[in-house]
Amino acid sequence: MTRHTRNVRTFTTAALAFVMAASGGCRSKPRPGGEAGATMSHGGDLVVSVRTEPRTFNRLAARDTSTDLVSILTQAKLVRINRVTQEVEPWLAESWTRSDAGLRYTIKLRPNVTFSDGHPFTADDVVFSFEAVYDEKTGSALADSLQMGGRKLRVTAADPSTVVVAFPAPFAPGLRILDNLPIVPRHKLEAALKAGTFASAWGLSTPPADIVGLGPFVLSEYAPGQRLVFTRNTHYWRTDASGTPLPYLDRVTADIIPDESAEILSLESGRIDMTFSSVAPESYALVKRAADAGRVKLMDLGVAYDADSFWFNLKPGAFAADARAPWLQRDELRLAISMAVDRQLFADTVFLGAGVPVYGPETPSNKKWYAADAPRAPHDPARARVLLGSVGLSDRNGDGAIEDAGNRPARFTLLTQKGRPSLERGAAVIRDELKKVGLVVDVVSLEAGALIQRILSATYDSVYFDPGTTDTDPAINPDFWFSSGSAHLWNMMQKAPATEWEKRIDELMARQIASPDEAERKRLFDEVQRIFAEHLPVIYFVAPRVYVAASARVTNLMPAVSRPQLLWAADTIAVKQ
Amino acid sequence: MISYIARRLAFAVILVFTVSSASLVLARLAPGDYVTTSLGIDARRETVERARARYRLDRSIGEQYRDWIVGAARLDFGRSLVYDRPVTDLIPERAANTAVLALTALAAATLIGLPLGIITGSRRGGVAAWAIRAASLVLLSMPPLLTSLFLVFAAARTGWLPVGGMSAAGAASEGATFDLLRHLVVPAAALALPLAAMFERLQAQAMSEVVGQPFVLATLARGVPRARVVWRDALKAALRPVAAVYGLVVGTLLSGSFAVEVITAWPGLGRLMLDALRARDVYLVAGCAAAGSMFLAAGTLMSDAALALVDPRTSE
Amino acid sequence: MTRLFGWTLLAAAVVAASGAPLLAPHASDDQFRGLLNAAPTFPHLVDDSGHWHRPFIYPWTLVSQLEQRYEQDRSTRVGLVWFTRGRLVGSADDSRAPLMLLGADSYGRDVFSRLLFGARISLALSIVAALGSMLAGVLIGGLAGYIGGGVDDLLMRASDFVLVLPAMYVALALRSVLPLVLASGTVFGLLAAIFAVVGAPFISRGVRAIVRAEKQLDYAVAVASLGAGHARLLARHLLPAARGFIVVEITMLVPAFIVAEATLSYVGLGFPDPVASWGTMLHDASNVRAFADFPWLLSPAAAMFLVVLGLNLVMEQSGVAPVMGAPVAEGAGRLQSE
Repeated sequence: MTRHTRNVRTFTTAALAFVMAASGGCRSKPRPGGEAGATMSHGGDLVVSVRTEPRTFNRLAARDTSTDLVSILTQAKLVRINRVTQEVEPWLAESWTRSDAGLRYTIKLRPNVTFSDGHPFTADDVVFSFEAVYDEKTGSALADSLQMGGRKLRVTAADPSTVVVAFPAPFAPGLRILDNLPIVPRHKLEAALKAGTFASAWGLSTPPADIVGLGPFVLSEYAPGQRLVFTRNTHYWRTDASGTPLPYLDRVTADIIPDESAEILSLESGRIDMTFSSVAPESYALVKRAADAGRVKLMDLGVAYDADSFWFNLKPGAFAADARAPWLQRDELRLAISMAVDRQLFADTVFLGAGVPVYGPETPSNKKWYAADAPRAPHDPARARVLLGSVGLSDRNGDGAIEDAGNRPARFTLLTQKGRPSLERGAAVIRDELKKVGLVVDVVSLEAGALIQRILSATYDSVYFDPGTTDTDPAINPDFWFSSGSAHLWNMMQKAPATEWEKRIDELMARQIASPDEAERKRLFDEVQRIFAEHLPVIYFVAPRVYVAASARVTNLMPAVSRPQLLWAADTIAVKQ
Repeated sequence: MISYIARRLAFAVILVFTVSSASLVLARLAPGDYVTTSLGIDARRETVERARARYRLDRSIGEQYRDWIVGAARLDFGRSLVYDRPVTDLIPERAANTAVLALTALAAATLIGLPLGIITGSRRGGVAAWAIRAASLVLLSMPPLLTSLFLVFAAARTGWLPVGGMSAAGAASEGATFDLLRHLVVPAAALALPLAAMFERLQAQAMSEVVGQPFVLATLARGVPRARVVWRDALKAALRPVAAVYGLVVGTLLSGSFAVEVITAWPGLGRLMLDALRARDVYLVAGCAAAGSMFLAAGTLMSDAALALVDPRTSE
Repeated sequence: MTRLFGWTLLAAAVVAASGAPLLAPHASDDQFRGLLNAAPTFPHLVDDSGHWHRPFIYPWTLVSQLEQRYEQDRSTRVGLVWFTRGRLVGSADDSRAPLMLLGADSYGRDVFSRLLFGARISLALSIVAALGSMLAGVLIGGLAGYIGGGVDDLLMRASDFVLVLPAMYVALALRSVLPLVLASGTVFGLLAAIFAVVGAPFISRGVRAIVRAEKQLDYAVAVASLGAGHARLLARHLLPAARGFIVVEITMLVPAFIVAEATLSYVGLGFPDPVASWGTMLHDASNVRAFADFPWLLSPAAAMFLVVLGLNLVMEQSGVAPVMGAPVAEGAGRLQSE
């Protein structure tokens, strides 16, 4: 009964929000700095930098950041997660209703929307996009994020402006996951899908005019290795509060600048207006100086949503033939490590002070889901030594390093990725801090491919890496939480949970994902975080602050902590003429 | 002579074949493959397997190699996994950019390095000779990464030259040549400076040897002006070392430089190769290696021919 | 005179490397967390009020951690102490003001100390590898040039093969078959072997050309007609003609190998992190901030220049001149930039 009323209430609030949002276009969007209220000047060019070449213009076929940039600028989704508020906003979907105990969504599409080539957008395009992403031959990396435990959404067109999305199981975040899927034009790509060549459609040699989308810009030029040029999509459907058609900008140019130093110099000298990625702590001082000189604005967006992860190989039997088996996979070891590392020192060394200590997978930035009361291990080397003693590791010969019962030194390897300053520096701090409690860590930096290979084949002692999260809502990262998940870092894709506590997390997360009651979900996830903190399968140390910079002439930015910090709202960015 | 050239050509073909084969095999032997680097660690196993099947990376090394050889025999070197385009389309496009850069740098290095080498080599001591030699040694002991970075830094801070890239965004077509020249300065200097230093050192050493030889002294004793002796008689004899390496330099320059092209954002062959190496793009790596060995073979052939011209003793 | 200067430079390098434990004020992995990228602490004799003191330094105080700005605390003098804790010189108070003659790196380690310790690995490795290249190169080049024909073709094309093979994959493949944790000695041997193989073609190419040319000269023909054996003719008469060339090749290989060590560490074939080397120091300094704000991080480049200058001066005065030494710089470029 209670449950039912909650259901109704959630629905009403949601519907109300959608009606408001739909009627006002972008009225519901936040207005940082009060800029959005002013009339924006139309026109102008924006130059951004990306590090790498896109792999394709087809977001369904690749997931690299540059392909994502192309998608953000040229395509649109049914709903958009507002990166500032983390709320779902109607986008191509104008409104929707829920039925069938939350399993079925009936989506009303925005009327009179056309693709950039003038072709009308209909429900068929939505159905087609789902067909394409789920197609076996496409093998899309996006497909994983649009499934519930391996089961697909069923998407049908009720009429040209109505789409029905049926979930295979109750899914609390609901349409939130639709933010993952750009809607692609059926009239352009249907032939490729039928021929089984969808994944190679819209490759880099496609003439730009053939790349058609619903986004604010269209690709107008691609110079391999040099740049991508996007011009205004004259058919774009969105207008600002005063009815002026968006986007404000006439043109966005993405220069490909592979080297970070060159990127910062380009920003500083005004050759580019902003970088696609955030400003690394090491570059902060340079950008700050340019900001002090009035050439750029430097924005502190707060603490990142994720921290670099340190975990041990917890696959049962991974160390069966290893003398370290009695202690290497024990909870006490990980708790001791968490206590041995001084997180403030970590923040000072790795992020030059621009970071906050974290103790679990959610950072304080994730206001909705962060469990502030989850247990945390304070910096306490003495207790760390006691804990290590409880698994048989103590200094038996007085040399400062600790040994196991057989007098073998307590020593393990830590793999990390070469060429990533925050990882390499973090690994060095972990090594030095653990040395103080007697643990010997051999840091081995590997090149990305070799490291990933080792993680996947579970041939490592411990890893310090940045797997990256996809969404702030835990229900959208099931592969991390479930013991059967592919991103369950410490012991991937288990047939049955290896431990009691993983089983418990599986159960809690299953309920958390299905529950329609947000407060209940929060309670369940708090519990998950508590269990996680007790067993620490992954240890987190510091989440960095995120800085972004843009040249002073760029206005109306809506900076957000999650990537891409500035360009997620490309259609409302403007420049001073 | 014709049989000599035919033999060299045959060897060039063998070189290209073995180098690209070895690259392909090594790329498969290196840990991780294109799918692991592109899908990351969180992809589901089925997705990974499907992707492997799609890129046909699920075959054994032997099978993959055999298929590749069959294709290569028909000049089909496979499709790049990263860019999903034929390798034979990607390479010429980037090789052209690298060639523009390489030839500019080569011309600059020759025009700067050789005359300086002749000057420093033909006179003993002197402040100018010392300064030139010290500058050469500085350039030779600087890592290429730092040289490029320093030039980019200087360009950005002075604002005189573009920071990187090959052209300005939206440059008008009438100013295109001038625009390209402006963008060429920094990367060409990064390549040319160490090269000029090398030419200078080689030429200086050879020159100082030749200047001391009896025939030069005899010519001087006959009353021929010193400048004429240096620039005409001694020069020809001292050109041998530079002639010997010139072709090799051309060959390596045309394969592109990783450091210079990455730092100055020049869209050349070196950068393409580096991206391909990192992404485990097996066919593209093999293609780039093949292109590199082709340039090297052509270069060494050129070098031997040049050497034969300067010094007939070394020819067949 | 210039030769003496050259020898002085080389002797200084050897003294610095071998005397590092005594000369360096700190161990190569001592970190001062509050002094990341801090500027050098120059020893002073006169304070602000014009009074003379025994050598002292001013401590740095942190102004901004994020911007890594420091200010000199001119009100405090920290004296230098000599011959304590087994070191030549150090600060009287390491916790407050460690002596950092060439500033600190991004981990807060003393650049000067690392420069001294790094000289050991970098110089030893590059010289061993250069000698290895020389042996292999002379052998291959000598045989190719002397015998000629099919052997020549085979050996020279094999050299070409080594030149154009993507070294990164060779290293990656090697890495995958080796144990994860490698002892410094193993890494040293491995790198020396790789460099020797990669460097050999440059030497063999030149040696071959010289031997070939010399073989046809009158004196060689005469010696051969006098009944000298092949080995004797090659070793006693032909190879010595290549001596100048080889020596110059070595001077060019040495800096290239120093830098290449950092390149191989990218694929995991490097020395364990706390071990200092000039190559990795320069690699860490390869960003714009080193030029803009922390020029002392580039001091290994200066040290390398002095070593190369020393080698160059010493060789030149030995009366040897290069004949065709250039391919090396090219190969160096390939090695360094990967």
